[in-house]
Amino acid sequence: MTIFQCRDSLEGILCGVYDAWTSRLGHENAALELENTGNLKMFAQYRNVEESQEKADKVIAAILRKAGRQVYEMVFRAALSREEEKADRIYRFLIYALNCGSKVADMLQIPAVYEIFRMDRNVGNEAHLLIEFARFSETKGKVLVCMVGPKNDVTILMAPHFADRLSGENWIIYDEGRRKGIVHKAEEGWMVVQTWDDTWRQKLQQGTDQEKFANLWKTFHNSIAIEERRNYVCQRGHLPLRFRPYMTEFGSGSAGL
Amino acid sequence: MLIQEQMSLEEKLAVLSDAAKYDVSCTSSGVDRKGKKGMIGNAVSAGLCHSFAADGRCISLLKILFTNQCIYDCRYCINRRSNDVMRTAFTPDEVCTLTMEFYRRNYIEGLFLSSGILHSPDYTMDLIYQALRKLRVQYRFNGYIHVKAIPGADPVIIEHVGLLADRMSVNLELPTAQGLKSLAPSKSRSRILAPMRQIQRGISTQRTEIIPYKRGQRFVPAGQSTQMIVGATPENDYQMIKVAEALYRNYDLKRVFYSAFVRVNDDSSLPALPGGPPLLREHRLYQADWLMRFYGFGADELLTEKQPHFNVLLDPKCDWALRHMELFPVEINKADYSTILRVPGIGVKSAKRIIAARKSAVLDFADLKKLGVVLKRAVYFITCRGRMMYSIKMDQSFITSQLVGEEHKKVWDMGSSDCYRQISMFDDGWLAPPPTAEDVQTAVFGQM
Repeated sequence: MTIFQCRDSLEGILCGVYDAWTSRLGHENAALELENTGNLKMFAQYRNVEESQEKADKVIAAILRKAGRQVYEMVFRAALSREEEKADRIYRFLIYALNCGSKVADMLQIPAVYEIFRMDRNVGNEAHLLIEFARFSETKGKVLVCMVGPKNDVTILMAPHFADRLSGENWIIYDEGRRKGIVHKAEEGWMVVQTWDDTWRQKLQQGTDQEKFANLWKTFHNSIAIEERRNYVCQRGHLPLRFRPYMTEFGSGSAGL
Repeated sequence: MLIQEQMSLEEKLAVLSDAAKYDVSCTSSGVDRKGKKGMIGNAVSAGLCHSFAADGRCISLLKILFTNQCIYDCRYCINRRSNDVMRTAFTPDEVCTLTMEFYRRNYIEGLFLSSGILHSPDYTMDLIYQALRKLRVQYRFNGYIHVKAIPGADPVIIEHVGLLADRMSVNLELPTAQGLKSLAPSKSRSRILAPMRQIQRGISTQRTEIIPYKRGQRFVPAGQSTQMIVGATPENDYQMIKVAEALYRNYDLKRVFYSAFVRVNDDSSLPALPGGPPLLREHRLYQADWLMRFYGFGADELLTEKQPHFNVLLDPKCDWALRHMELFPVEINKADYSTILRVPGIGVKSAKRIIAARKSAVLDFADLKKLGVVLKRAVYFITCRGRMMYSIKMDQSFITSQLVGEEHKKVWDMGSSDCYRQISMFDDGWLAPPPTAEDVQTAVFGQM
């Protein structure tokens, strides 16, 4: 068994797929793993994947040509998953996808396809929930700031929604766990910024004034509930506790800051 | 009537959202609209729920009354004329500021504006129109707006409001005309249905018109909805779903909402509800509503004159299937979409996945689980490759007891049948009872 170690990103994984595929070892003798995850295996050879945009582009082009856009989007979202085995799962899935074409997305009876479907669904669901549950607060410089702490790396999936909705605003969505931010400039566009320390977090904490509207919102949130129908189990089912520290109406009031 | 002018915005919001909370037709779905340059907001057709209140209901829109003053005296309503409650009203600017600032912070998906009747229906509808116009034109709001059409208002104003709103609704309140007469004497069935018909015509004419409305001006693009109160009057479930079905067919409604009656006024004409609001009944009505809208069921299939109430222990789909055992089991690999959709435990998504997946493979029970089928319900009604999962008696009472047990998580219900059952160390059902003192006595003294 030869194990290809790749970086935890879409490009990294796709380069890994390229290397494993072109190594001519045979699919059953090659496997993919993310760097610095899991334990080392006995009797396995380890190779590092060398990343290059060219390799990744070749794989993407092949997916688009043979399997179509829907399958590529599945792979894209699955690559954002927090699961450690995702690299190898994407590799196994692509073996089927490049053979069967676009109809592979419906073949859920195949375990390799089902795993990607499941991860894709999980990531998509979390992104959808965060689009609903994200809470912005306004800084003195009229910048809207939102803190999130998702399990999967979904901020990039949230960005297009807010870029369309709040196109005339400057806003930042900051992923606390991954120290990664989406920065949007009014009427222009958005980009991903990866940071390495907590300076962003500290800066974003300072001087958000949202007392007034946060209090109004809390008032509304309390008065809209019907006392006779109170049902906290139902509420928890729809709005899991893990989102609440970041939400104005439940948490400390300023997006978990 | 005490009208407070000098209230703070926060106090007003508390009073006017509290007064609006019993209105349930509050979703943000039905229209897809991209953001526009210079405006704030867009709309997503699936709708977004931004929060959930302590009662577990979704908060999607800023649900407020424009004013809680009202000239009517409906028995069930907290804002009725004869109630001594704090009365207040928003100004249009307050409504706009709240909506814009909440929307920017992603608290809400848009505005839900309803109102008590101030002076006259026309006057109130015009106030709502002024507020919406300000929000759209001056504040450049492009998000979702749901507004109530007030029965009895001039059709011209309703038409104008309809061009600014995404969804309009008129509340039917009570499913029969007698019910309405007894509890809401100043409202009449015909006055409620008139604006509903007008909105329906408005929506359908623009579909067929050769030169459509001015760009960006569509009449109620997300359609209309209504709500009925459950349990305030003696109507049965069959009448409720028949009315809902008629509304979907004849008035092209997008949604009918059911609101379990909450007794807010101490009034002799209202039923006493010692067990709280009839939540289970409301739940069953919603289940039936989904069956009618997405699963191709008719109201007469679910209930009949003779059996006018839903089963308390079983959901309407299981109940229907158990009354039609002659149609089951269904072969998953061959049956068509509409047949598969009628199997309990299979929903729209899993039925579509089954149809897609079986093109490339013959499906088995393990595959169905992956496709999202709820096997613990479906297993009694399906075969894969001509076999059922377990050997099951196709017997109505046996399957009923199984499904009811499943819904109540009563494991011990299984003991009464002669089918397979899992052996457990603690299954005392299999053991003979220990000898009693009398048995010991008879044995000792040889009185066998």
